[in-house]
Amino acid sequence: MPQQIIALIIIAYFISRLVWQKRKNFIGFNEFMFWLFFWLAAAVLIASLRFIDRLVSGLGFSGSGIEVLLYLSVAILFYLLFRLRLKLEKIEKDITKIVKHIALKDK
Amino acid sequence: MYMVENIMPAQGGPALGGKVFCVIPAYNESRTIKAIINEVKPLVDRVVVVDDGSTDQTYDLAKDLDIDLPRHIINRGQGAALRTGTAYSLSQGADIIVHFDADGQFLSQDIAKIIEPIKLGQAEVVFGSRFLSTQSDSCRAEPGQAGENKQVESGMPLFKKYFIMPLARAVNKIFFKIDLTDPQSGFRAMTAQAARKMDWQQDRMAHCSEIMFMVKKNNFKAAEVPIRVIYHSFGQSLFDGFKIIKDLFIAMLVS
Repeated sequence: MPQQIIALIIIAYFISRLVWQKRKNFIGFNEFMFWLFFWLAAAVLIASLRFIDRLVSGLGFSGSGIEVLLYLSVAILFYLLFRLRLKLEKIEKDITKIVKHIALKDK
Repeated sequence: MYMVENIMPAQGGPALGGKVFCVIPAYNESRTIKAIINEVKPLVDRVVVVDDGSTDQTYDLAKDLDIDLPRHIINRGQGAALRTGTAYSLSQGADIIVHFDADGQFLSQDIAKIIEPIKLGQAEVVFGSRFLSTQSDSCRAEPGQAGENKQVESGMPLFKKYFIMPLARAVNKIFFKIDLTDPQSGFRAMTAQAARKMDWQQDRMAHCSEIMFMVKKNNFKAAEVPIRVIYHSFGQSLFDGFKIIKDLFIAMLVS
């Protein structure tokens, strides 16, 4: 229980930072909504750890709920990293297009 | 149908003519660029050197030599520079486009060999192959040639010959169904029609495999001719090979 309370306090801190960044217009609406959803989802999952324990046990996992959440978060991180790599690739291609255009235009 | 023929240059065949442009991507090649341009210039109608964002004297040395010199404001890689040079050549009315290196690895005398199958109407794209010539394994830079001041090795490094190249050949064959003797040939020639249809996307070294794949995809009549190569102490390592595979894999995912 104390661990859950600590985790929820940390999440509350991140959400307050998020709201502050939005008010200062440091982030756009879409980014604000994405992170708000992310932290609220994390809070809901932490608040319902017992239910998740039962759920993962029922699904046949040997680990506890928090372990399964950790596995899931690592998988999501890998996916986001992959998406970032693809995005970077597209940006690289766009840069090359611009460089080529300038090279041909300047000739 | 995709055809790969190992054509030895025909002797005394009727020349069909046409403007030959030689595209040379150059990135920090100040030591060799002048010699390369002077060697290549008498052999083709126009030389197009694409300065790929060099930070040394490459651009300044090349601009005094009365050639076409498009310039990348930042370095984008050999594949990107070749794309720029090819697009420029097409805009200037090229009939045959040759891709050549600025580091003195290839011999300018082989340009005639590589464009001959195109001039004879035997091929639309011709690849130079280091594996069709016995001479390619024992070529050394001589004084006066481009690369004379560079540390050179005699013959293809054994690790490259017996490990990297077979691996690259296997990757080409398994993933792209390409069956050429030289899996990473950077010395090639193509007709303007073929060049217009080939829009390779790889900016760096993986463009070699991509161009081969595009030849197959477009059913171009392809040929390989033996070329001689001077091996320097630098060149593609095993790490570069894996980087090429990674780039091609990501390109498959993105497209």
